[in-house]
Amino acid sequence: MRELFPAKQVMGFVFSMLLTAVALGVYFFDLSFAVGMTILLVTAFVQALLQLIVFMHAGETKDKWAIYANVYFMIFIGIITVLGTLFLLIWDMA
Amino acid sequence: MKLGHSQPLEYSTHQNDLNIFGFWIFLGAEIMLFATLFTSYFTLENRVGSGPSGAEIFEITPVLIETILLLTSSFTIGLAVHAMRIGKVKAMMSFFVITLVLGLAFLGVEIYEFVHYVHVGAGLQTSAFTAMLLTTLGTHGIHVTFGLFWGVMILLQVRKRGLTAETAGKSFIFSLYWHFLDVVWIFIFSFIYLKGMM
Amino acid sequence: MEFFERFAIPHPSPAIYAAMVAIGLTVIGIVAGLTYFKKWGYLWREWLTTVDHKRIGIMYLISALIMLFRGGVDAVMLRAQLATPEAKLLDAQHYNEIFTTHGVIMIMFMAMPFIIGFMNYVVPLQIGARDVAFPRLNAISFWLFFMGAMLFNISFVIGGSPDAGWTSYFPLAGNDFSTSVGTNYYMIALQISGLGTLMTGVNMITTILKMRAPGMTLMKMPMFTWSTLIANLIIVTVFPVLTVALAMGTMDRLFGTHFFASTNGGMDMLWANLFWVWGHPEVYILILPAFGIYSEIISTFAGRNLYGYKSMVGSMVIISVLSCLVWAHHFFTMGQGAAANSFFSITTMMIAVPTGVKIFNWLFTLWKGKIRMTVPMLYSIGFIPLFTIGGVTGVMLAMSAADYQYHNTMFLVAHFHNTIIPGVVFAMLAALTYYWPKMFGFMLNERIGKWTFWALSIGFVLAFFPMYLSGLDGQARRMYTYSESTGFGPLNMISFIGAGIMAIGFVLIVYNIYHSIRYASRDISSDPWDARTLEWATHTPVPEYNFAHTPSVNSSEPFWDDKKKKHKLFPGEIEKIHMPNKSGLPFIMSSIFFVWGFSFVFAMWTLLIISTIGIFICMAYRSFEKDPGYYIPVEKIKETEEKLGGAKL
Repeated sequence: MRELFPAKQVMGFVFSMLLTAVALGVYFFDLSFAVGMTILLVTAFVQALLQLIVFMHAGETKDKWAIYANVYFMIFIGIITVLGTLFLLIWDMA
Repeated sequence: MKLGHSQPLEYSTHQNDLNIFGFWIFLGAEIMLFATLFTSYFTLENRVGSGPSGAEIFEITPVLIETILLLTSSFTIGLAVHAMRIGKVKAMMSFFVITLVLGLAFLGVEIYEFVHYVHVGAGLQTSAFTAMLLTTLGTHGIHVTFGLFWGVMILLQVRKRGLTAETAGKSFIFSLYWHFLDVVWIFIFSFIYLKGMM
Repeated sequence: MEFFERFAIPHPSPAIYAAMVAIGLTVIGIVAGLTYFKKWGYLWREWLTTVDHKRIGIMYLISALIMLFRGGVDAVMLRAQLATPEAKLLDAQHYNEIFTTHGVIMIMFMAMPFIIGFMNYVVPLQIGARDVAFPRLNAISFWLFFMGAMLFNISFVIGGSPDAGWTSYFPLAGNDFSTSVGTNYYMIALQISGLGTLMTGVNMITTILKMRAPGMTLMKMPMFTWSTLIANLIIVTVFPVLTVALAMGTMDRLFGTHFFASTNGGMDMLWANLFWVWGHPEVYILILPAFGIYSEIISTFAGRNLYGYKSMVGSMVIISVLSCLVWAHHFFTMGQGAAANSFFSITTMMIAVPTGVKIFNWLFTLWKGKIRMTVPMLYSIGFIPLFTIGGVTGVMLAMSAADYQYHNTMFLVAHFHNTIIPGVVFAMLAALTYYWPKMFGFMLNERIGKWTFWALSIGFVLAFFPMYLSGLDGQARRMYTYSESTGFGPLNMISFIGAGIMAIGFVLIVYNIYHSIRYASRDISSDPWDARTLEWATHTPVPEYNFAHTPSVNSSEPFWDDKKKKHKLFPGEIEKIHMPNKSGLPFIMSSIFFVWGFSFVFAMWTLLIISTIGIFICMAYRSFEKDPGYYIPVEKIKETEEKLGGAKL
């Protein structure tokens, strides 16, 4: 029975629940926008990385460089798209 | 196609190796798909017209339930892949079924959530904000729905044909898809709901 | 009867009625011809169900040439209307429809399939592989593109063409201002073919990264393969953006949402923003493979390897990243502040640097080479000065403050045609001439080819350079006419003459193909150009398995090394080869997608639901399908190799 619940997966699950609980803090506590956003950004990205590496086995084959490069490139361009759009349409709009 | 090789079964054929790699590239494209939805959401978030804002309609309880359901299902599909790798077909299928049931429960709560929104005047046609909210949540939900059908088909194939290189490969790729949907949900949970209720 | 009224053309004209008749006659002609010559079986077996990258590549090329015809006719009509002030050839509505379809067809249904056709045909051969990573998916990519193109093309005769420009900005593209179904066609046809392109992206990246011949490290790949890899990386990055934008546009028009509407919080500028997040990288998707073609052709016909391999690769990587950082230069004048415009101005100007590095590398390759002025080389040499002018005007446009003068004038139109025509179209025609003998077993006529080049080059300069001047003088784009007092008349007349000369160039292409099919010698070498890379180390015609032995690679020019330096390209014994089965499913599923798209355009919800279910049934069938492929036995391979001219090298 023990063999069906490997330590890595269980620890990963517990850690992701923990990160979710921490993120919930922004709902239950009265925090400033900056602090709240920081908490959300950190917990979300850490949980994403956790899923990527521990659960999705991204690093287990010789393709790992291509896989990581692809994922990070997409995240990079994704962030540029979000920030660039907000900059153009909202933050720097006359 | 014996188990216990140095490589997990799903990588044991060249075509499977290609399929898994190709699916990772596809997931990269899906990252950009959801990034675009988030881009549009943040742009339209405060444009509520005559309709309600997020803070007015979001409820923490269903959101928390959805999150726990999806997170757990991500855990169980991971256990399914592990069981597959150590050759325990019955355990693998059980964990797979649990995953799909949890996914179905998630959809159920989400449908309830959508009905509630329409009830309180936040429908698809109400405002730019409501349209973008429902489209973003809805795109994720459609992906989950598609996953449920896909998962059932894979399960049927495992039951009928057992654990072969093909069925192992498909199951592994499905698990990648399912984990990815959980990652997207984490961002939805954080930057749509929690941010909206701060 | 009322049900059929929705399919009527809102603004008919004699030209449209003539087109209806022509389309009808052509379809009848094709069906009759296939039946009379008993070719339905052949068509189904050899083309509609193929998963062979070479066949799929050829189908893309045929589609591209047909679309070049339609897009070109559109262009000549536009130029004819503008040749004289206040002409009455086309009214404003028709003019709008024609420039819209001209743009969409030329970019999405001519240029994209042209480059994807060559990527399909050439890349597996260049890396020594037997096919792409996912041959079935490749077939789906083609047929989805084809059905998307067909859907877009029938808008003309059923329901009405889109008329809001190829960029389809809101609120013009919304229901208030575009009342016909034309814009629905735009949103949905592009969605369908966009799906196909995204799948090509996944396929090509996997193929190039995972299926290269032994010894071919990334830095030994041919330059066309590198450019394909990077272009496909951009495809998988930005096509999802288009998917979302088109979906939101569709929902605004068909489901009453307010994403881009002017009321209830909608933001029309969001459409322009998302469109260009996709749209700018799209033009780099077009130009990078063209650059790759030029690299191959210049090095072959200069008789030396490409100068600066590493910087060629590096510059393409930099271009691909920068291309995703410049999109706002398409709407500098839309109201955002100086900080945003400055940022995008700088990134746009930066892109000129790696592009310039490439131009210099091509020049250095030519410098000490033994140049052979074949038709492909002519196009490549014509490209260098013409494209540079286009690039320089791009830097002018990149300065956001100055762009307030140039934006949406004919200056802009001249710039982008100046980069696309010498950049992409010349490369495609050069590649067509270069790869034609490998694909079909005979050469295109060299003399007619040279006339074509000169007709297109002279025609291009006459057609587009006056636009720089009239644009600076103030002539706006997308305007169906102008008054005599503006003084734009003479320049526009010159443009019209240039367009006519380009049309002659196109006729010459068709004539060349006809003439060569009829008269060209079929007794040619499998390496007619004395080339350097692996795709030329195959027989002509290329057998379905491509290479009998997997090649062994030692440098970026393995075929050249084999010919000149006694590198053994095909060591080892022949083994049985695994091939994928043909399948009718890609064609069938794509046909259902056509019905899906058509029913969506006309909001026929029942048919939409039925076809959606049909698509999912196809996918479920595929999931349960057992598809082990088949093996070609060693004897059969040896037999084929003998027949084609003995074991290679």
